[in-house]
Amino acid sequence: MNPISRVVCSHGQHFSRTGRSSSPLLSAVRGYGGAQFQMEKGARVIDMRSDVLTKPSAAVKDAMSQATADDDIFREDRTVLELESIMAKMFGKEAALFVPSGTMGNLIGVLAHCQTRGLEVILGDRSHMFMWEQGGISQIGGLHPRTIPNRPDGTFDLDVLEDDIRPKDDPHQPWTGLIVVENTHSYCGGRAIPMDFMAELRKRAKKYDVPIHIDGARILNAAVALNVAPRDIMEYADSVSFCFSKGVGAPIGSVLIGSHNLIARALRLRKVLGGGWRKPGGLAAAALVAIQDAADRLQKDHEHAKLFAKEISSHGLGVVSVDLDSVQTNMVLVKVLKKDLSAKAFCQRLSQVSEEELAETGEEAVIVRANEVNSADVRFVTHCSLTTDDIETAIKKTVFVIRQLSEESSADSINDAFALKRVME
Amino acid sequence: MNPISRVVCSHGQHFSRTGRSSSPLLSAVRGYGGAQFQMEKGARVIDMRSDVLTKPSAAVKDAMSQATADDDIFREDRTVLELESIMAKMFGKEAALFVPSGTMGNLIGVLAHCQTRGLEVILGDRSHMFMWEQGGISQIGGLHPRTIPNRPDGTFDLDVLEDDIRPKDDPHQPWTGLIVVENTHSYCGGRAIPMDFMAELRKRAKKYDVPIHIDGARILNAAVALNVAPRDIMEYADSVSFCFSKGVGAPIGSVLIGSHNLIARALRLRKVLGGGWRKPGGLAAAALVAIQDAADRLQKDHEHAKLFAKEISSHGLGVVSVDLDSVQTNMVLVKVLKKDLSAKAFCQRLSQVTKGEQAKLNATVQVRVNPARVPKHIRVCTMLNLTTADIKMAVEKWKYVLEEFAD
Repeated sequence: MNPISRVVCSHGQHFSRTGRSSSPLLSAVRGYGGAQFQMEKGARVIDMRSDVLTKPSAAVKDAMSQATADDDIFREDRTVLELESIMAKMFGKEAALFVPSGTMGNLIGVLAHCQTRGLEVILGDRSHMFMWEQGGISQIGGLHPRTIPNRPDGTFDLDVLEDDIRPKDDPHQPWTGLIVVENTHSYCGGRAIPMDFMAELRKRAKKYDVPIHIDGARILNAAVALNVAPRDIMEYADSVSFCFSKGVGAPIGSVLIGSHNLIARALRLRKVLGGGWRKPGGLAAAALVAIQDAADRLQKDHEHAKLFAKEISSHGLGVVSVDLDSVQTNMVLVKVLKKDLSAKAFCQRLSQVSEEELAETGEEAVIVRANEVNSADVRFVTHCSLTTDDIETAIKKTVFVIRQLSEESSADSINDAFALKRVME
Repeated sequence: MNPISRVVCSHGQHFSRTGRSSSPLLSAVRGYGGAQFQMEKGARVIDMRSDVLTKPSAAVKDAMSQATADDDIFREDRTVLELESIMAKMFGKEAALFVPSGTMGNLIGVLAHCQTRGLEVILGDRSHMFMWEQGGISQIGGLHPRTIPNRPDGTFDLDVLEDDIRPKDDPHQPWTGLIVVENTHSYCGGRAIPMDFMAELRKRAKKYDVPIHIDGARILNAAVALNVAPRDIMEYADSVSFCFSKGVGAPIGSVLIGSHNLIARALRLRKVLGGGWRKPGGLAAAALVAIQDAADRLQKDHEHAKLFAKEISSHGLGVVSVDLDSVQTNMVLVKVLKKDLSAKAFCQRLSQVTKGEQAKLNATVQVRVNPARVPKHIRVCTMLNLTTADIKMAVEKWKYVLEEFAD
């Protein structure tokens, strides 16, 4: 047996048993998906951390196994070209480019718009691009970000925006190259940006000839929630980066959509960044199949989110609260009200199982996974790999935990009241 | 039917008929894979342009369809972690990172080594990184390339290298952050870098504490050709970027291999560049399966290349020539000798079919090859989807065309 195979066989067995790497640095990074998670033996895990956790359906896997496998750097794969063509048409633009991630779709979009060194990009202060793409537009692109405060609905003040647009004739100031809008807005809880805001934004930006890029990882969720076609939203923007790998349910990939010229530059940028992949036909086939019934599935995710939100809201017991009007798509932000209870601690409770709980629910042990977005808010996300039964079970578990926490709270305040009384006597 | 489905259904049919985009800019880019190619009716196409054209085998596709699909940004996919662990061990290093392409593996490797702004990177003047990765180390990384002339065997002069290493105490000069060696060397015709060169290079570089990264897209070809283990080569370097998507036969992906610290930085770099992909379990499974018997398949590719080279060499007829000693792996550089005959024209003829040829060969054959980067040369690649029969048929076609061009 050749030396390569020998390593593969023996090591493969070893790794399967331990499943762990010994690097402390890598272990630190590995915590990124949320708190250390201990899988309880036999527990049913309902993972509501994110819609990136969708798993490919049987139809998607089927399409992948039968797909073309021609070279995309030579631009010879018909499935990829077909996907790009369909997506361009769906969004009412001229061309599109299939890329490995939303981060890359956004980075390429911004760099393709802002060709001159040192341009300024206006974007929300709680936008994903500004907060969670590692400052790529500066780190990689040499561009200057200018943040504008996001309002709870994901929009921002358009008068402030106009003020922020730089004059062309002052050497002290960079020029404004682009405005980025995130739709749906993740930090704000999956908010769909209102169409009249988009229209007004476009009107103001056009005065100064500043183009608009949409970070539209979840733009289909917005289209479904607002009951418009994707191309209707794109009337008000020049380009969009949209993800197949989230609620839509494909394993990998996003697409940047815009004009012929933009996409031609994007193709070069994809290459230099290392996104020029060889034979992504299978991934393109997955996206093509997943997009077929995406609208219906996203609609269902939205209904699940509303159901979850309503139940938690009416059982908040002063421990948590939900702003029902803000639940528009597949995310629910649950606010922790109880004093001395952090959002993180609340998440931890949801992933624990106790004898008491098993006795009361009488059924299987249930773990609900969710992540905190800050010290006070927990985000729950619905997606196509969670059935209605999963959602109802998650509701039961969450309501149980809320009740437990509210009882603990009452116990504490009764104790406090006694203590106070004793002191005063 | 919702508006999205309607667009998908109607447009899908439309596009399948035309198969074309209407953008002139995109069309210009689309010519990149070589000259416009018209497939002849009923022709047998033997595509020898590159080993990136390998197609996934049934076993590979099978593994892909049954793979895990957990999130790799959360680092929760066991198949990916297993692949990285195995590759690290195979190359005798501490850790590895699965990335979408060799270009990204190299870019991340270089940036992870060179953390300080403005460092200088020494690399061959005909290296793929310098010539054909769009100047990424500068464009993206702000680093300064310093080229050193590649010799025909892919190596370079180590005395010149030592001279090129910058002093630490002169504010006029950048500091040297890294040396990159390409193995096998693509431009030079798939040359395996000799082990004694690697050893001597390591010795010299160590004097100045300069690390070495290997652009090892085809490093397994080198290991097979030199009959050494990959970890033996890695004795002389700190990191390597290696491709699964070429001769090894997986559809997508490369791997960067190095120390724990390097790979921890690489993970962050992969994210900011946009290589943080969600559910690549299937792609990792493909790589795991493909790597199992890669050594044997690459050995076969090398035998095919030698067979092809020998036949063309003995039938050159003054039209072309081949340096047989330089054929070590899966590439053959064929030199065009005939005056007024361009490599491009020769390639075009190979993809055309004439009646006389059909009669003589008793077959309709189109051979696809591209002019090499080396002027007046044609590059011919062997790879797992080309059988011995394919190679022999390609040889017959070549011989026919050579006779046509011979005086």
